[in-house]
Amino acid sequence: MANTTVLVPEPARPLPGLSINSSQGLLQWISSVDHKQLGIMYLWMALLFMLVGGLEILLVRVQLAVPRNTFLSPEAYNQLFTMHGTTMIFFVAMPALFGFGIYFVPLMIGANEMAFPRLNALSLWLTLFGGSLMYFSFLAGGAPDAGWFNYAPLNQFNYSSSPGVDYYCAGLLLAGIGTITASINLVVTILRYRIPGMRFKDMPVFVWMMLLTACLVLASFPALNAALAMLLLDRQLHAHFFDVTGGGSAVLWQHLFWLFGHPEVYVLILPAFGIFSEIFAVFSRKPVFGYAFIVGSGIAIALLAFGVWVHHMLAVGLGNTVNGFFSASSMLIGIPTGIKIFNWLATMHGGSLRFTVAMRFAIAFLVEFTIGGLSGIAFAIVPIDLQLTDTYFVVAHIHYVFIGGTLFGLFAGLFYWFPKMSGRLLDERLSKWFFWLFVVGFNGTFLVQHVLGTLGMPRRVYTYPDLPGWGLLNMISTAGGFLMGAATLLLVYMLVTAIRRGPLAPADPWDAYTLEWATTSPPTLQNFDRVPPVRSARPWRDHKRPDDADHLKPGKKKGVHGK
Amino acid sequence: MHSPPSIWAQWHASPALLLLVAGLAAAYFGLSGGRWQARGGLYFTALGLLALVEASPLHYLGMHALFSAHMVVHIVVLLLCGPLLVLGLPPALPSTVARRLARFSGWLRGHTWLAWLAGVGIMWGLHVPAVFDASFGGLDAAFGLPALLPVVAMLLAGALFSWPLVGPTAEAHLHPLAGVVYLFSACVGCSLLGLLITFAPADTYQHYARAGWCGTPSLAPDFASNPWGLSLADDQQAAGLIMWVPCCFIYLGGCMYLVAKYFMADEGVAPPPAPPLRGRGAIRPLTLASVRLPSPAGEGPGVGLH
Ligand SMILES: [Cu+2]
Repeated sequence: MANTTVLVPEPARPLPGLSINSSQGLLQWISSVDHKQLGIMYLWMALLFMLVGGLEILLVRVQLAVPRNTFLSPEAYNQLFTMHGTTMIFFVAMPALFGFGIYFVPLMIGANEMAFPRLNALSLWLTLFGGSLMYFSFLAGGAPDAGWFNYAPLNQFNYSSSPGVDYYCAGLLLAGIGTITASINLVVTILRYRIPGMRFKDMPVFVWMMLLTACLVLASFPALNAALAMLLLDRQLHAHFFDVTGGGSAVLWQHLFWLFGHPEVYVLILPAFGIFSEIFAVFSRKPVFGYAFIVGSGIAIALLAFGVWVHHMLAVGLGNTVNGFFSASSMLIGIPTGIKIFNWLATMHGGSLRFTVAMRFAIAFLVEFTIGGLSGIAFAIVPIDLQLTDTYFVVAHIHYVFIGGTLFGLFAGLFYWFPKMSGRLLDERLSKWFFWLFVVGFNGTFLVQHVLGTLGMPRRVYTYPDLPGWGLLNMISTAGGFLMGAATLLLVYMLVTAIRRGPLAPADPWDAYTLEWATTSPPTLQNFDRVPPVRSARPWRDHKRPDDADHLKPGKKKGVHGK
Repeated sequence: MHSPPSIWAQWHASPALLLLVAGLAAAYFGLSGGRWQARGGLYFTALGLLALVEASPLHYLGMHALFSAHMVVHIVVLLLCGPLLVLGLPPALPSTVARRLARFSGWLRGHTWLAWLAGVGIMWGLHVPAVFDASFGGLDAAFGLPALLPVVAMLLAGALFSWPLVGPTAEAHLHPLAGVVYLFSACVGCSLLGLLITFAPADTYQHYARAGWCGTPSLAPDFASNPWGLSLADDQQAAGLIMWVPCCFIYLGGCMYLVAKYFMADEGVAPPPAPPLRGRGAIRPLTLASVRLPSPAGEGPGVGLH
């Protein structure tokens, strides 16, 4: 079988954690096909883009801080908010979630590597270069400026003649291919590389959610990639897919984009749900309540994702018949998510809680995500949607979902897994500072935007008249934004100092349940030598407490018993 | 002006339909040895539903005026009646029949795509505009036999489609999670068709475009007396949407049933997944017996394995 052996400069000894002071230095990282190093690089990439995307939106917030501001020109404003949204979704949230997935899925299923290591590297670099290409547009004559969902006809050449939209297409196509290859890799790894004995119903919830996410990506990204290719044809070769005067359809873009876009929302939230499920269980010292319900509702969410996208288009004018059906079906998608929320609450109920920073983010998520979920259900009601669409209420909703859900999930995962990835512990006191700064800044920024939206402030306008209350609310929002910015800088400082000189982390600092904690921190190049037998969803705990193992009490893994 | 008969009075059972229902009922007792067996209720619910949607005013509406009503009939017959008939088959069958059914199940297990194609194909096939319009051709023919043909086809397709999931031979069932993929892909197939119908030009289905509202002017959209006010375009959209959205929820309900079945089955340790294939750092397949770890009692939690 060794006929395809390829020598890569990699150490035989334990990997260097997060530092580059290995025998090969940077070259070892660049040429790596190790899933742990690739996962870490995904995370670094996400952090880098998060700083850039955050800077962009702070400039936007400065512009919006007072009425009739002239800090930014309308053109610059359009480019900045477009790049902010596109960056945060495609080059921050996605790579970070996939980074955790690629790092931890093999560890959690007792595998030593992903199914296709070199494809794994290809995925990372495609995504990175896709992002870089999109940012190159700033130098090439102007960044994309038609919003992150880039509606037709605004994305057509006569309305957006700078090459920005072309770079948007090319960059997202590249990144999209990278995401698809990474998803194929995850699906095959999870289906084929589980340690013998691990049944589907023994998989950690995070692995389940990554499996569902990867399937969602495989089903939804083709729609986006096709739309991007069609748009490129429109712009470069004068095709007429979205050009109404040439017989095309502008609404077609919306259909294709949201056929991708709604599943994308779940692509961004399901892995976070997985992370939270692990964290709630470990820091409540209980099995996750209703494992089957959490996984089952995850499957339901994934399937429903494809039946509701038209709710993003209720204001398009497709008619009352269409709107009615999708209004009804969209309200249904609240059910599985609600089931999960109650499962997590029940997981905490009666547990001995440990309020680590990871757990704090998980609890904050319950509050923030519920707010975002409720405003989402509000949008499913057609008259409310007609009134509030394209206002700051939408901005508030999307950020409560993506920050309160996805980003808090990423932070929770970071604080949970950082000791495993780096072999170092983060400063607990600073971590708590970071938590409070970020949560306060986040709510300060976006809670008031619900009011602004209801007052009628449209989104995506570069300035606004001095109407009663608008100036004050916007100023609060800007101040909150800067608080989040400061918190992010604190996070970077914490990460860098912890990697440099943080206290060494033990292999299992949280007394956790799943197999990634059965290896050293950081794991060696070969993840495992041997793996404890898997007989439940908490194999590492079973191993540590053989007399109290889950498989000895069949009801326990269903969360029926208390602790 | 004479007032048209109320739509609620339009009950029409063709002789062919009655024969079909009676034949299916007779088949049950033939198979069950004249005894009522477990889950017989499902079987006869299916027959009742079939008779109801085929003889009721809903059917009349569907045949003469509303595509959307027609679509509801389709979905009930294909996705409810067909599968319920299979689910309700008597568990204890004469041995020759049981052997034949087992052989058929085994064969179908190797050709699952055929069952899938039957379920999805019949939907697509029947809604090709030419086929669709032609299916109304023999409305008034003797015994209503031609009109019953699509119904029989849908019943058969529905039964065949659900066979790999709930057929009488449990050993030949798909793995529940594979069943989820099976149902979901079928749901996508039907959604695409629903989407096409929803956004197709309003006169795609000539039968309804030409429909003279069959002596029931109260249904015509441009009559002031019409309380429902469905225009031709609205009606076609509703039909497409019924196939797109609620129909998907039936598949989804099936998926949830399979997921629940999977999690409730407390079987022993399943056969391990196939051993890893190749690749750098591929996992060393460890059998459970080979696993030997330091005792946590001695060294405390947090001990690595190296
Ligand atoms: Cu949506």
